[in-house]
Amino acid sequence: MTSCIRDKNIDRVVVAACSPEFKEHVFQQALENAGLNGHLLSVANIREQCAWAHEGDVTEKALELIRMAVNRTRLLQPVEEKELSVNKGVLVVGGGFSALNSAIQLSQLGLPTTLLERESTLGGRIRELENMYGFKTGPMIEAAEGAKNIDILTSAEVLEVEGKIGNFMVRIRKGAEEISRSFGAIVFATGYETEVTDQDFQLKPGVNIISQERLAQMLQASSPKGRPQTVGFIFDFYDENSRFPTLATLSNALAIKQKWGSEVYVLCRDVKVDSEGADQLYREAREHGVVFSKFEEKPRISADDGRVKVEAKDVFLGEDMTLICDLVVAEERILPPAGTKDLSFLLSIRTDSQGFYQDENVHLYPVASERKGIFFIGGCRGDLDFQRALADVSSVVMNVYGLLSSGKVVVEAEKVKVDPQKCVACLTCIRVCPHSAIQLARTEGEKEVAEISDLACDACGVCAAICPAKAIKFEGYSDEQILAQIEALGAP
Amino acid sequence: MRGEIVAFCCERSAYPAADLAGKGKLCYPDNLRVIRIPCAGRVDAIHILKAFEKGAAAVLVLGCEDGACHHITGNIRARERVRYCDMLLKEVGLDGGRVGMFNVAPNETHKFVRIVNEMNEKIKESGETK
Repeated sequence: MTSCIRDKNIDRVVVAACSPEFKEHVFQQALENAGLNGHLLSVANIREQCAWAHEGDVTEKALELIRMAVNRTRLLQPVEEKELSVNKGVLVVGGGFSALNSAIQLSQLGLPTTLLERESTLGGRIRELENMYGFKTGPMIEAAEGAKNIDILTSAEVLEVEGKIGNFMVRIRKGAEEISRSFGAIVFATGYETEVTDQDFQLKPGVNIISQERLAQMLQASSPKGRPQTVGFIFDFYDENSRFPTLATLSNALAIKQKWGSEVYVLCRDVKVDSEGADQLYREAREHGVVFSKFEEKPRISADDGRVKVEAKDVFLGEDMTLICDLVVAEERILPPAGTKDLSFLLSIRTDSQGFYQDENVHLYPVASERKGIFFIGGCRGDLDFQRALADVSSVVMNVYGLLSSGKVVVEAEKVKVDPQKCVACLTCIRVCPHSAIQLARTEGEKEVAEISDLACDACGVCAAICPAKAIKFEGYSDEQILAQIEALGAP
Repeated sequence: MRGEIVAFCCERSAYPAADLAGKGKLCYPDNLRVIRIPCAGRVDAIHILKAFEKGAAAVLVLGCEDGACHHITGNIRARERVRYCDMLLKEVGLDGGRVGMFNVAPNETHKFVRIVNEMNEKIKESGETK
């Protein structure tokens, strides 16, 4: 094919064969090898969508498909590739486990990293994890503080993000002052919040009824005064599928048994979350004497002479059961951290039905967002456990390193392009662009027109379809090229 | 009229579904002409109307499942445009239902074939297929 293109001086190619999904890139490479731009190629899919899909003689249809492809190919224009330089700096927002880990790994790979934390100290909710998974958090914070590539900004928050992948301009408020910095990519690891679900149980958090967070603090205190004799956990009633509350309950129940030796009762419904090591934790807790009781109806909770009375019907015994506890650990639910809504509005990025950041694609690009160069990892994208958060960290480090490490990115230049003569700056495209790739720019004639960033554009063509002035041309899928295919319908 | 069905297929969902249908030798009417597009949101009213002008009996716009569009709202925009075209076609006297927007996931081959078959039955009833 390559020599044929060279010898006969061919300027455009139609391949009538299998689906472009399979071998289009191979043919494009063949064109490139012959010195022809890879975009001057159409593939007529006469195998999957013609020969294999119909019975009988389909030669007529195959010929028509080829005519359609030829019509399109006539109008194709080359799309050149160009190299753009990108800023190597990475902004990591957050100070918890995922943020610290990714910042350390990114800095080790030689990318200058800025860690931005809203609180005055690093760590976030990391101490709860320490209790749950038995690893030491101190060295991690020290490593982040000691790394020479990491710049730490505490008591700081993001005010504004402008620009595109490779060059985000971020306005940051640190204390009373405002600073502006440029970054190549932004990683959000803003974590999660928990809330005691009290409304259903008439629970009033207080001295006897506490949250997991408070329990973790009590467990870490070296000598708790007046160890509680009986501890009850309530969980599984509000949300059975929440990983973090389930793991916290199991590990804390076990820890109480081991450290305090109290009697521990866990009032649960199904204990059924999917998380690595959760089943082992459950079995270990039972072996150590933690009592699990299955309930269907909500337990009734009342005060009883300075202690807490929990009454409920045990499903297996079929009898009412009364527990007098010194301490009740209430069920919690996971919430997106405060400010998530504002931030998602600021970045024009979606959140899911529960308010967490939405993955770009759950299976294929779990940590990416619809804006290239902006990533979400850890608790801020939903209910994760430790292993999943670690996987997120590795994933985002690979992604960011691949994007920025060379300082350059190769993009297709002006594949989707605005004609400045036709553009009337109506802003429709800017409003609809799902990847925030379009902005207003001033031309030489002092006229304001829409401009598409080659870096941020994902080539969907939504803008080309919606532009009222038909000023946007999407090479390969322009109006003329699509209409040319339709023109070939039925023509002999 | 020869009775072709023109299907604008999103390259991330319906186009692979069509390929997979062929691979599985799931037969569907051979009057289908697939046009590959990057996202259902790329389809404009002019593309749909042009197909009717060139003698197509029906037009399908096939995009991703709602909420699964790689370009967030491309399939929703396509649906709006299809509704608009349906209205225009009614005004010029082509009865409703000749243009349809459907969601097809990349592995939903049977759904793809069912959609094509149903559309073909519909245009057969009105006596405009070959």
